[in-house]
Order: sequence, then structure tokens, then C-alpha cells
Amino acid sequence: MKLSRRCFLSLVVGGAAGTALTPLPWKITDDLSIWSQNWPWTPVPPDGAGSYVASTCTLCPGGCGISVRKIDDRAVKIEGAAGHPLNDGGVCMLGLSGLQLLYSPTRIQSPLKRVGERGQGQWQTITWKQAIGEVAGKLGDIRQQGKPEALACIAPKDTGTVARLMDRLMAAYGSPNFFRTPSVEDAYEAVLYLTQGVVGHVGLDVENADFILSFGSALLDGYGSPVRMFRANSRLKEMHGTVVQIEPRLSNTAAKADRWLPLKPGTEADLALAMAHVIIARNAADRGFLEGQTQGFAAFMRMVQERYTPQSVAARTGIKANVIEEVAMKFAAAKRPLAICGRGKGQVPGSLKEALAVHALNALVGNINATGGVTAFSAYDYIDWADVVTDEVAAKGRQTPRLDGAGSDKYPNARYLLNHLADAADNIQALLVAESNPCYALPDTRGIKAAFDKIPFVVSFSSFMDETAMNADIILPNHVYLERFEDVPVTFGAGYPTVGLCRPVVEPLYHTQHLGDTIIQVAKALKGSVGASFPWPDYKTCLKQSLGDKWDILKQKGVWVDASANPGIETASGKIVLMDDTLGAVYTADEVPAPGDAATYPLVLVPYDSIRLSSRYIGDPPFMVKTVSDRIVKGHDGFVEINPETAAKLSLADGQMATLTTPVGEARVRVNLDNGIMPDVVAMPRGLGHTAYDEFLAGKGVNVNQLVGSVDDPASGLDAAWGIRAKLA
Amino acid sequence: MSSNEEPKTTDVTEDAHGASPAHSPSPEKSGGGAYLFLSFIVGLALSMVVGWAVFPKVLYSKKSQPVDFSHKLHLEQVDNGCESCHFFREDGTFSGAPKLEQCIGCHEEVMGESENEAVFVEQYVAKEREVPWLVYARQPDCVFFSHAAHVYGAKLACETCHGNIGASDTLKPYEQNRITGYSRDIWGHSISGFKRNTWDRMKMDDCAECHETAGIHDSSVQTGRDACFVCHK
Amino acid sequence: MKHAQTQHRPKRYGMVIDLDKCTGCGACMVACFSENNVPFKADESDKRLSITWMKVYKVTNGESFPNADVCYFPRPCQHCAGQHEGHSPCVSVCPATATDYSKETGIVSQIYTRCFGCRYCMGACPYHARYFNWWDPVWPKGMEQYLSPNVSPRMRGIVEKCSFCFHRYQLARNKAFKEGHREVKENEYQTACTQACPAGAITFGDLNNPDHKVHQLAQPDVHHGYKAKNPLAFRLLERLGTNTKVYYMSSREWVRKAGDNYLADENPGEHVQEPSGH
Repeated sequence: MKLSRRCFLSLVVGGAAGTALTPLPWKITDDLSIWSQNWPWTPVPPDGAGSYVASTCTLCPGGCGISVRKIDDRAVKIEGAAGHPLNDGGVCMLGLSGLQLLYSPTRIQSPLKRVGERGQGQWQTITWKQAIGEVAGKLGDIRQQGKPEALACIAPKDTGTVARLMDRLMAAYGSPNFFRTPSVEDAYEAVLYLTQGVVGHVGLDVENADFILSFGSALLDGYGSPVRMFRANSRLKEMHGTVVQIEPRLSNTAAKADRWLPLKPGTEADLALAMAHVIIARNAADRGFLEGQTQGFAAFMRMVQERYTPQSVAARTGIKANVIEEVAMKFAAAKRPLAICGRGKGQVPGSLKEALAVHALNALVGNINATGGVTAFSAYDYIDWADVVTDEVAAKGRQTPRLDGAGSDKYPNARYLLNHLADAADNIQALLVAESNPCYALPDTRGIKAAFDKIPFVVSFSSFMDETAMNADIILPNHVYLERFEDVPVTFGAGYPTVGLCRPVVEPLYHTQHLGDTIIQVAKALKGSVGASFPWPDYKTCLKQSLGDKWDILKQKGVWVDASANPGIETASGKIVLMDDTLGAVYTADEVPAPGDAATYPLVLVPYDSIRLSSRYIGDPPFMVKTVSDRIVKGHDGFVEINPETAAKLSLADGQMATLTTPVGEARVRVNLDNGIMPDVVAMPRGLGHTAYDEFLAGKGVNVNQLVGSVDDPASGLDAAWGIRAKLA
Repeated sequence: MSSNEEPKTTDVTEDAHGASPAHSPSPEKSGGGAYLFLSFIVGLALSMVVGWAVFPKVLYSKKSQPVDFSHKLHLEQVDNGCESCHFFREDGTFSGAPKLEQCIGCHEEVMGESENEAVFVEQYVAKEREVPWLVYARQPDCVFFSHAAHVYGAKLACETCHGNIGASDTLKPYEQNRITGYSRDIWGHSISGFKRNTWDRMKMDDCAECHETAGIHDSSVQTGRDACFVCHK
Repeated sequence: MKHAQTQHRPKRYGMVIDLDKCTGCGACMVACFSENNVPFKADESDKRLSITWMKVYKVTNGESFPNADVCYFPRPCQHCAGQHEGHSPCVSVCPATATDYSKETGIVSQIYTRCFGCRYCMGACPYHARYFNWWDPVWPKGMEQYLSPNVSPRMRGIVEKCSFCFHRYQLARNKAFKEGHREVKENEYQTACTQACPAGAITFGDLNNPDHKVHQLAQPDVHHGYKAKNPLAFRLLERLGTNTKVYYMSSREWVRKAGDNYLADENPGEHVQEPSGH
């Protein structure tokens, strides 16, 4: 039987009618629409039991408490820890993005040994045993040659068990060349030592101040313990307190301040001393305090009277004499005035003169070691280890002068001068770099890179493939902070000595190892007196023993605050020194200039800090880059901020590409016309222009550190560069 | 229909299903109609068979659970009914299928002689591997279902939505929709979507139906019913 | 059975943002990204294509140095109620019932699986609060680990926007049900941005509830379209009648004026008293 067309059609019609009487079409339509809503490549995050782990953020020196939300074994969200003495629930953008670091593809997943040339990025995966053996072997050789001082070490801090273990390794090994990365802490520490005889840290009681006079400190862009500064600022708004911001550009802090004093950059010390002059001349100083608790006031008074009248500094600073007088008097009239210094986040130490001058302002209003003022706390002493075992090599090595000149007759007021690395590098045979990225984050990156090129053996402990790790010979990756225990002492920006506990939120994801364990293992592998100086089997034991009874407090509360710490004055006279021969020499020194000649470079380039850009060890996670304005980065182009008036003089239009040249480098940038910046000054943010990391960060904008150099403060040797001369065409 | 136009020159076609000359009242005409009708019926019947019987078989793949499990047996052993194992966490979220942690209390060692028990203890408990249970009632990712609202708020019994699983001796095969990837229990066992009991289906309409009869909210501006965000995320 | 919820006073969740305190730090944006599984791309500098449920706008006073001033406006979805409850610009144009207004909470929802990407709502929204997924979201290998199960990741071709962290309300209600009390307390439901804000500039709560801080700050006037009675508070483009639930506060007049479009000789703040103390 053959099927005719008609019958076939009939069959089809019947089939269609029949199908319509079945659920098939409706069911398929429904299923297809569901399918189209649930592409298999759209991730479905697995659900599970929710929990929170309390820890401490270590992404910046701020030491905020965090609370990490987990679903089963995954960390899914970082929040600020409510009730924490520093940040009470608030948290910054970097802290919030921490999980993008934990789960980042740029993490180093196991120890790596360089094959190929440095910087080429060719690595061989090695085991931890090999890695420790390799490092200990090299260090052993150098020590064998009797040159232990040729080992140097860079760490972001010198307190806390991990930093102290590194320092201890250096001591037992026999090298004095431990470097802490530079910051305004260096300047503050020198000031506290010179004026109050205290070896320790500065406490800024911003919570109780009612008038904050900020010499360019980015209170709202990451200065000190950042969230604490935000909270203090909001509290001041509520109680109608005052913030005066002194800097050449309308930063977020300046915009939110009650008063913005746009001064010519680099003249902060002049302004501070002129204000001191006004306060003394108008008899607004705290006489009782000055007489009872200070020495050298008369000499100080003479100095400011002779050299720093408001009229004489008005032209230099660009701030009118009557404004200087008005602000100085308001500062003196406030109940709890507080003057602070350190430009931006305080990543550059700045000049000692400036820090001293600002400290003197606090002394004049009697706000030192007082509520709402500046306090001096002695260094953290909870780590009480037995002396290192010292053999002859170590004894001899430790006696050698520091390669950077810190503590020498020339630079008696500095402890670490990493800005001298280029000079020191000739004599460094091995360098250990922990939790810092000097090849990116230090000014004059070209000079730093050249210094690295001279050092035959560079060991990085970085968790991420950053610029410094790229330039290392071997990488022994540390756990990231969400995978490890660590004590986190807050040495700058807290009101009281504060120690947080960083604790693991998740199990380590990769074959990384705690830096503390790595140091202990390297020391043990070096054997002899070096190994004997490390009696602990592992870091956790060391941490627990070191913290003693604080371990339980920290485990329970996550943070320990020594509110009973006594701020000290430990000078011979028991008084705060306002002026003596040493200080006199500092005060009479000239201002630190911006390098470059004005004829070739008519503009001044100042780097600035933004809380949306991480500019230290940590590279910006994708979330942060996403928030960066298209007036700062567009595609791969970075912008330079310039006053429209200045741009008009140079015939530059908004958005136009131009070449920014300074004595140390040049870069192609786009022009960003902004009314908030002083004419003839141009500004660029720190934290861009990475060459390492992934496509979410690398190659975006320009690293301003390539364009600025380092300038020695004549008084301290610290880096006091606040800018550099530049031209834009 | 060229053959119709030339009736005289063309013999009646031997093809019974072919078109007959229009003028000829030949028996083929009614026979052709019958054939046509028959074709229609065959088409209808075939497609009905396909739609009702074959389609569901093709649409769903059958998987068996990693380990068989008797809800009935376990329900007899515990004091707190379903919630003994399917409990609410402190934050009010629902734990769903139990984790090994809850089983381990009794099943540290092999109990009894069941083969499933041996597999469970050896393959999962001993190796500390979670059992990859196939969850019959798993909803798509866009759905937020609050067990707390229904159990604590509306005081609904588990059976209202899940049926009397507590009485089952074994786990039925997990049927997965090949197109959507979801369990058959969402659409319901009946391919027509017909339901006899409240627990027969778990589609959005079923939720909405119950919400409407229960008179819960009428806060949606778009639908005049319960708002979208109540059950979606 | 009639459930108790219907007898409850409807809520009107909203926000008050203190622009004097807001520093433009952007923590709210990242808190939101992180809470809501917001995707990111290698290049996010084309801001029209950059999905930011919460976006901080920089607004300047237009003056030259040194009188230039800057204010930051964090902008979540404004959850417009419109002239009558639910007459939101977006909800009224959605042909797919993908965006909805709940009279129970005052929250404008967006159901991703329902949306088919016509983008009418984006055209209708005066606040640019809605974003279209031009691409499928892709997380770098490993990063999908941090995705939260409480918010569905979106797919290409649909619109998304701020939900006032509605999932947090759902979770808070879960807890409330379990604990046998029905009302979600003020501190139990807070958005991620509110919680994270280091300056404490954002306040969130039920604008209908006189005990809630948002009510006290904004003092919405029920008889005048919920206009703020607080002279320092205002809403964005208020004269469009969108009747939004996000109030802003500023002691600076130019900032308050920046919240709406005014003619050159028009003075929006005629009834506004200058604040004292600054």
C-alpha cells in the first residue's frame, strides 16, 4: 500500500491534532523557556550553612576587625566587625574586596624557582623542601664567606611576631640590614624620640578631638587606620567640630572639610610655624602646659618670631596672612585641637622639620599626651623572647654599619632608609622581601629596579605575582591573611596600643606556607647558632607562647586594646623638648624642594592617594578598579589632573593625550581638567600602572612612582619627596 | 490536480489513496474518505501515544540515588519527626538533605546487614565524603523558598508539599528533565500537569494557588497577587 | 486561612543618605558588588556598560579654583512609588511582569528569569539605576567560589538593579519566623551598603515607622507625596513625581539644588532655612 499525498497530509493533520491533545507542546514550551533562563554556564552558587568568622584585616596597616561570612567551606562576604574599637562595623573598599584576593588567579600556588631571565616570568614549580633548601643553601654560602651583613630584608613593619621573626633571623644570621618600608611613621617616631625621648608609636586621639588641623593627611582617603578616621570625621560633623584641610588640591578630605586651605605644595612646615607664631604672639598658647611640661619654649618662640611671621610666609605658602591668623586662632581656641601630618595615606615619611613643626603646634595648645590630642606610646613589648644565640660571625656582622646609613652620624634620627637601597645594593648579596612590593610602591621605581638588578639573589614571600615577585629568583608564597593566624599590632593611626588577631577563615587553598613557618624553617636549615635561636617547632607555637595570656583574650575577642597604656615623656628633664641644639638645626634647614629646574619644568607634579586605589603591597582587586572614575582611568589611559587655566596656557584640551615629563621619567597621559587643583600643579593618583597581575589591573593608567624621585630630608635622610617638577605637552 | 482535469483519458488510478475523478461516483470515493479518515485517526493515535506515553519517557532520564534509604525506618528511630534530620538552623534557614555529620552519630560502624548500609559506611562515612543526594524538590536558582515561613509561620505540615515521604521504604529513582535539568517532581509525575494532592506538583502556579486561597498578601502592583520578590531572589 | 501579615501596616523601606558625611569612598559600591554577585569585566571604564547597582556620582559646584567644591551622591535604585503606590516609572512600562512593586515593602523587584531584555525600564528610569547585561558574567577561574547563594547570578540579555538587598529581608524573616516573632526589627534588615559605610552616612529602615531612624531623619510628609519635612532633606528629581524612597541630606544649598533641575532664577530652597553652626 502506498501512502498518497492526501493521506500523508491527513496523517500529519491527525498527528498535529493529536499532539495538541497531549501535554507535549505545552510541556516543551515550558521546558524550553526554563532552559533559556538557566544557561548551564551561569554559575549557581551552592547553598549551605551560613557562619561568620571574626578576624583582622591586614590589607593595609589599619588593623580593622572583619567578620567573614561563610557558606559551608566557602567565604562569600567580608563585613566590618561590629563593636570593634577601630572600625565598629565600617569597612573600606579594599577590605570588602578581600575575597577577590583569596580566590584570585594571580595567587602564587606553590614555591617557584626562576628559570630564564629575571622578569621574564618563567618559573619552575618546586617543593617546599627544595625551596627552603635552596634559600638556606644560598644564605649559608654567604655566611660561610664571612659576610652576613650582605643579607638584607624588607618587611612592611617591625612589630608583631612575623616581622620580629624576620628581624631575629637577621640578627642571628649577623646582619643589621633589616628594612621597614617607609611611611610617615618614620617621621613621627623620630619626632617622639627627639621631643619626648619615647621609642614607640604615635597615638592620635581623633575620636575626642573637636578641631583637626590636617597638613595634607588624607583623613578620608586612607590615612592611619582609615575607617577610624572616617568615623571620627562623621562624629565631628554631628557635633559641629571642625576639620581644616591644608593641601594644594581639592581632595575628598578637603571637599568634606569645613575649611580647605589650598597651599603651595611643600610649604607645610612654613605654614605650621607661622601658625605657631600667631598662637604665641596672640597669647593663645597654653601657658600652663608650656611652663610645666616643656623646655626650650623661649628659644622656640624666638625662632618663630624671627623667621615665621604670617606676612613672611604668606607669599611662599600662597595663604594670606589674615587667613593664617584666623585659622591659627580658631585652632588655639578649640577645646581639643589636634594637628596631624603625613601627606595622603602617609606613604612617604616627609621632612622631619614638618613633622616637628606640627608636633610643636600640638604642644603650644597643650594637647600632647592628652585626651583628643597626640600621645606617645612606648613600643609594643608583648614579645619577650630570649636573646638570639650569637656566634662570632653574627657578632661581627651585626657590628658593621647599616648599608643605608640609618643611625649613622649623618642620619642619627632614622632607623630605616629604604630610599637608599640603590646605594646599598652594591653590597647586598641576598635580599628577602616580605609583604611588600618595593619594585612598584616605592618612589623612583626605576632606581629601585636597578638596585634589584644588582642584587644576585632575591627571595620573595609574596602571595601574589606582583612586580617584586616578578623580579625575584625564588618565591616562597605566604598564605593570604584569610588563611593564617597572625598578631596584627596597629602602630599608626590608633588612639591606644591595639593588637588584632588575624585568624584563618578557610583552609589554605594552595601549597602556600605561613611566612612565620618559612622563616623558622630557613633558620633551622641554616643550623648552628642561627637554628638554635629559633626554639619553636612551628609558627603557631611561637605565636601562642609569645602572646602568653593575651592569646586567650585575642582568641575570644579578636582584639586587645591597652587603654591603660601610659603615654610617656622620657627625656632627661621629664619635659617635652620644644627646642634644643638638635631641633634648632632641623628647624633652620631649608624646605625640601621639588627636584628639577623651573625653567625646563614649569609645573609641579604631586602624587595623591585615593581610598579607591590600593597603593602599597596589595594590588587593586577587580572590584576596586571597577569603581575608579573614567576621569582617572579610561581603557588603558591614565589621566593627569590639571587646572583649566593652566591647561589653557599649555593649549591642552580636556581628554587630550599629552606627554608628562619629569626629571626621572615620562609617560603618556590624558588631560583631566579639574577646578579643584591649584594652577601650575598637576596631580596623579598612586596605585595605578601595574605591570604585574592580570588583565583586571595590569596596564591601566600610569604608576606615578615612575615619575617621582626620592629626595633625602637633610635632617633625617628619610624620603621627603612631596612632588617633582614636570612639564606637560 | 491535473488528473481531475482529464478524466476521460486517464484510467482510474490503481492507487486507492489517490484522488478519484471528481465526476465519478466510484466506490473509491467513499473508500478514499475512509482512508483519509483512517490516516487522520492513525496520526492522531500515534501522536497521542507519543505525547502521552513516549514523550515522558524520553523527556526524563532516570538516576538512582547513591545510596538507598528508608525514611520509614528512620522516622521510627527518631523523636522529633522530620525535623530530627531536616532541621532548621539557628538563623532560620533550612538544612535540607542531612550532611554526614548528622548520620555519623549512629552510622560510625556498619549497622545491620543491608548492602546500602555497607556502601554508605564504607564509601561515605569512612572516607568522610558527603553523599551526593539527588534532591527531588530542588528548585531553580531564581527561587527563594522559606521553609521557616511555611513551617513556623503558616504551620504547614511537611506532607503538604512533600507528600508522605516518611512512610516510604526506599528512595524512588530521581527523574531528571533532559531539557531543564530539574527533577520531575517540580512539574509533577503527571505529564499533563494534573494534580490530585497539594504535593503532586511544585511549580510557581502551585505556590501561587495556595497563596491565593490562603489570602496571603495581595501586594503586587503588576499581578494583584503576592509580590514577585516574596519567592524570587 | 487568612494570614496575619495582611493586617500589618505595610512597610515602606527607604534610605536617608547624609551627604555631609558621605566621603565618596565607594565602600557602598563594593559592599553591593560583593553582596549581590555583581559581575565585572577587564575594562570597566565605559561607565554606561559598568554594572553598578549602587553608584557614587561626583557632583561639582562648577566654580573655579579655589572656590570649587565637590559632593558625592551615592545612588542606589530609588524604589519609586510614583503618584500612587506602585506607579513606578519602570514597573508601569515592563511588558513582562519582570519588575514589580510590592505594596507590602515598597520595594521594586526585578526578576531576572522573567526579564527578556527589552530595556523599556531602562529608558523609563530617570536615575540610570538599571543596567543591562550585554555579556554573560564570567568570573576568573576560582573566583566563582565567593558567590553568594542568596542572590542569583544573572545571565546575558537581562536587566538588573539594586534590590535594597531584599534577600537580607528574606533571611531576616526566616529568623523572625523561627523565633516566633513576625516583625523584622530595624537592625535585622539593613542593606549591605548601609552596613559597610565607614562614615555612617547611610541610614536604612521603614519610612512608615516613626521608631525607625529613617523616618525621624527624613520626616516624610504623607499628605504631600512623602516630601521630606526636614528642610535639609530632599530627593532626586523630586518634581518628576517619582516619589522615591531614597532621601538625601545636606547642609550645603548648592548640593540640595543639585538634586533637581532648576531654572536659573528659581530658588528651590525658599522654604528651606539655612542650617546654623557651619
